[in-house]
Amino acid sequence: MTPPDVLVIGGGIIGRVAAIELATAGATVTIVDAGTNAGSHANAGSLHVQMQSRFIRLFPEQAPNVEAALPLYKQAASVWADLEARIGDCELTRQGGLMLAEGEAQMAFLEDKARREERRGLDVTLLDRAALDRIAPWIGAQIVGAELCRDEGKLNPLLAGRRLEAECRRLGITVVTDSVQALERAGGGMVAHGRRSRYAAQEVVIAAAWGSGVIVRDFGVDIPTRAEPLHMNITEPCAYQIAHLVQHAERPITFKQFKSGQIVIGGGWPARDNGPDAVPSVRADSLLGNVALAARLVPAVGRLRLIRTWAGMNTTADGGSILGRLAREPRVTMAVPGDAGYTLGPLIGQMAASIVLGQAPPADPAPYAPDRFAAATA
Amino acid sequence: MSEPALEFDGRAVPFREGQTIAAALTEAGQRAFRRTAKDAPRGIFCGMGVCQDCLVTVDGVPNRRACMTKARAGQRVTTGEPFPALDLDARLPEPAPARVLEPEVLVIGGGAGGLSAAIAARAAGAKVVLVDERPVPGGQYYKQAASGAPLDAQQSEGAALVAAARESGAELLGGVEIWGAFDGPLFLAEQDGAALILRPKTVIVATGAYERPVMVPGWTLPGVMTTGAAQTLWRSYRTLPGRRVVVCGSGPLNAQVALELAEGGAEVACVAELAPMPFGKPFAAARMALADPALTLKGFGLLRGLRRRGIALRYGTALRGIEAADGGLAVTLADRRDGSRVVEVDAVCMNAGFEPQNEILRLLGAQMTYDAVFGHLRCTRSETLETSVPGVYAVGDCAGMGGAPAARVEGRIAGRAAAAATGHGEAYDLFAELRTLARHRRFQRGLWRLYDVRPRPPEPGQGETILCRCEEVSLAEATEGHGRNPGHVGTLKRGTRIGMGRCQGRYCGPVATRLVAGWSGAEIADRSFFAPRVPIKPVSIASILAAQEALDDAP
Ligand SMILES: Cc1cc2nc3c(=O)[nH]c(=O)nc-3n(C[C@H](O)[C@H](O)[C@@H](O)COP(=O)(O)OP(=O)(O)OC[C@H]3O[C@@H](n4cnc5c(N)ncnc54)[C@H](O)[C@@H]3O)c2cc1C
Ligand SMILES: Cc1cc2nc3c(=O)[nH]c(=O)nc-3n(C[C@H](O)[C@H](O)[C@H](O)COP(=O)(O)OP(=O)(O)OC[C@H]3O[C@@H](n4cnc5c(N)ncnc54)[C@H](O)[C@@H]3O)c2cc1C
Ligand code: FES
Repeated sequence: MTPPDVLVIGGGIIGRVAAIELATAGATVTIVDAGTNAGSHANAGSLHVQMQSRFIRLFPEQAPNVEAALPLYKQAASVWADLEARIGDCELTRQGGLMLAEGEAQMAFLEDKARREERRGLDVTLLDRAALDRIAPWIGAQIVGAELCRDEGKLNPLLAGRRLEAECRRLGITVVTDSVQALERAGGGMVAHGRRSRYAAQEVVIAAAWGSGVIVRDFGVDIPTRAEPLHMNITEPCAYQIAHLVQHAERPITFKQFKSGQIVIGGGWPARDNGPDAVPSVRADSLLGNVALAARLVPAVGRLRLIRTWAGMNTTADGGSILGRLAREPRVTMAVPGDAGYTLGPLIGQMAASIVLGQAPPADPAPYAPDRFAAATA
Repeated sequence: MSEPALEFDGRAVPFREGQTIAAALTEAGQRAFRRTAKDAPRGIFCGMGVCQDCLVTVDGVPNRRACMTKARAGQRVTTGEPFPALDLDARLPEPAPARVLEPEVLVIGGGAGGLSAAIAARAAGAKVVLVDERPVPGGQYYKQAASGAPLDAQQSEGAALVAAARESGAELLGGVEIWGAFDGPLFLAEQDGAALILRPKTVIVATGAYERPVMVPGWTLPGVMTTGAAQTLWRSYRTLPGRRVVVCGSGPLNAQVALELAEGGAEVACVAELAPMPFGKPFAAARMALADPALTLKGFGLLRGLRRRGIALRYGTALRGIEAADGGLAVTLADRRDGSRVVEVDAVCMNAGFEPQNEILRLLGAQMTYDAVFGHLRCTRSETLETSVPGVYAVGDCAGMGGAPAARVEGRIAGRAAAAATGHGEAYDLFAELRTLARHRRFQRGLWRLYDVRPRPPEPGQGETILCRCEEVSLAEATEGHGRNPGHVGTLKRGTRIGMGRCQGRYCGPVATRLVAGWSGAEIADRSFFAPRVPIKPVSIASILAAQEALDDAP
């Protein structure tokens, strides 16, 4: 079978990895990307594997989807390491992630969580304060213990973005800046109508994150992809001393140090949405709350200076990934990640490419089929 | 009695009362203050807290700006390191007490514009707070001496304005650095490590401008600084930037500072002015003379002063490059007639115009348009100098270059308007003020047409020249990054790290924006520049913690 011409809509982590896999298999690939608000350009580079407390609290109804997908996260973190081996250094490390508990109730929450995660095959251990002191003595005194997930890690997304861009160039993938307004069947293939031009292809991969739902609403699915503006902070560089990804059992925070020295503080604090064509803006309460929390958990950063904050667009639907051909239009393959989509990105991108190429994907895509969003009536 | 001394890398450095660490080190002949990630030496550059190149470790605290930190006896100062170690055993510092202020009129910036605004608003009866990041108010034009008597008429005029502001009953707070501006408006500031939270009814932004450099090979070497930095060293701290100096770039500040430094005892090799001799532009010169005969005469006085001291003012002369040589600097200048020449100095001063400090205005969403003559953004304002954001006024150079006399008039207008908006005083006749303002603006337009200050990238043949001082990104790397991934200057930033450092793209940003516009053929507008983001200046996490606690406790 000769590989088809493929149009990939959306050039974030998923779109680029899918394009790279497809082009490697010999397909002619075009990426059309609107050039605005990619989560992949704003994210913090945490490789999340254990369930994030923020997510369980914010979207309790979606938590079961995330829990069921835990093995996918573990596999995705390994796929990232493989990808790095292929595209070059992304400052990726997998020295584990700590989720901190303040008091016995939070410790009990972590115990229950760890049991559930262990059942799904994650490498997790509970640490009391003495054990925590042996690996991370710099954690604030109020912390009584932690859950360590050894599958977790981190990388520098700016570096990864540059590597992926170079790989796309090396493979001769065409990248166009345009925003797709409509998609339709035309003869034996598909045509996407952008603001500037139209794009014909035999197969289409939709990796447009928050922009995905509207593109396919005429194909019998009602996919509620929503943009969620989130806030990030970064400090000036210091010597590389903190290897773990740090989170909290109850409060939203991710804390890590890039190998290049800067400390990145995030964890899903909200930003202000300014519409699809403008970047979201930073809110004072998020900045103060997020950074103050980091300083309480890791007091050593008190003397460092914050040099920048920014806001970017995350995407939410029902917590699970949305992956597979549309029942009504099999030439269209959806590829939208579940929560912690940067972690999942390379794996979901590879799975989408396998589906288009008619090969067996590296994991079972059945639980993520887009049909679960079939529109009530046509 | 021996004079007080601080310690720099283990050696005693004497200083005089009021001097900053940067002034003391410069006076002691110490030019390199820190080392970069690529191990390049750096020293004082902007002298005003913007460039973040003068970072030193002070009593164990890394990344303190030597130009903004007062020298103290016994202080232990060491060369700034690119990757200082975190003290992992450190406890969270006790947050210094935070203060919340809710004035009717907040004035940000204590220069010509801000001081007159505060006086006018207070005279109308409003409750006024004025904040400035420098310890002493006065701003750039009226730059006050840290100690001692005024140097000349300019400083005396400033001292009088400061005294009038104090007498007016406005609260003047020094050493306050605003790092956050949010809707509301809400401002977050750091004052000596403590947090200051400001929720004014109206705000007058008067943050002034900073200097545009000349990007040539070697412009990041220690000993190379902006003309304004040299002026601050001399006027505020009575410290000469070097024994022998050369002044380069374009604009009226260069000749003025050259003369000031010469009067202070420096040997000035020459003033290299990029623009041709003004006789080539009689129309602009005549318009300027008509608009403000007194200021024009002052300019002639300046030229006479230079001539008397034998300092050549070389028109049509470009700075081509700077190299470290024999403990000094070898500076290559080129003009159309004589070709290039090399002068040996120990300090280079450069100024090629100004960039408005409009970060607060942009963060608050004030509308801007691109002014092609000045090569920077200009804030859109009403007749009473209100921006497109209700209750937010902009006066002076932060809204676009206008000069000190215009800033004073603008301050008076906005001060009264802001007071009226909070229920003090009433509508008044603006006619006379507006006429004066129009005259000042005509003078400025004429004046700047004589010079050549568009933000310029280095010459294409000088690809190794650094554009981004903080992240050490060269012109060649930026060009290559854009070739890989054309688009917005934000895309270039992600691809090359240009503009990602501590100064937040203050120097490379305007040039990168022009480069990207040139490459893509797009018109320059507000959105062509780096997106405005907080913190406006790097801020200590301890001070953020203090602000968070104060706001959490607030009702
Ligand atoms: C891992 C990581 C580390 C980072 N480290 C740093 C750091 O050390 N220092 C630092 O300063 N920043 C840093 N950043 C922030 C960086 O700028 C981000 O890449 C970017 O996503 C957000 O940038 P911004 O919005 O603050 O500003 P910019 O990157 O300047 O973004 C401006 C945006 O505005 C958009 N835009 C402007 N005009 C238009 C228009 N007409 N139409 C549509 N869109 C327009 C552009 O698309 C552009 O993306 C980091 C980011 C990441 C992901
Ligand atoms: C601040 C922040 C921090 C985060 N931190 C992490 C983290 O640490 N770890 C983690 O795992 N995840 C993190 N995430 C989530 C993660 O970034 C995203 O889930 C992930 O990057 C999504 O990748 P994507 O390829 O699906 O889509 P995106 O990277 O969002 O890219 C989608 C692209 O599609 C384009 N597009 C949309 N509509 C159209 C259209 N109609 N036509 C053409 N193009 C279109 C967009 O312009 C965009 O470029 C974070 C998110 C944010 C916002
Ligand atoms: S010289 Fe101190 S910040 Fe520029």
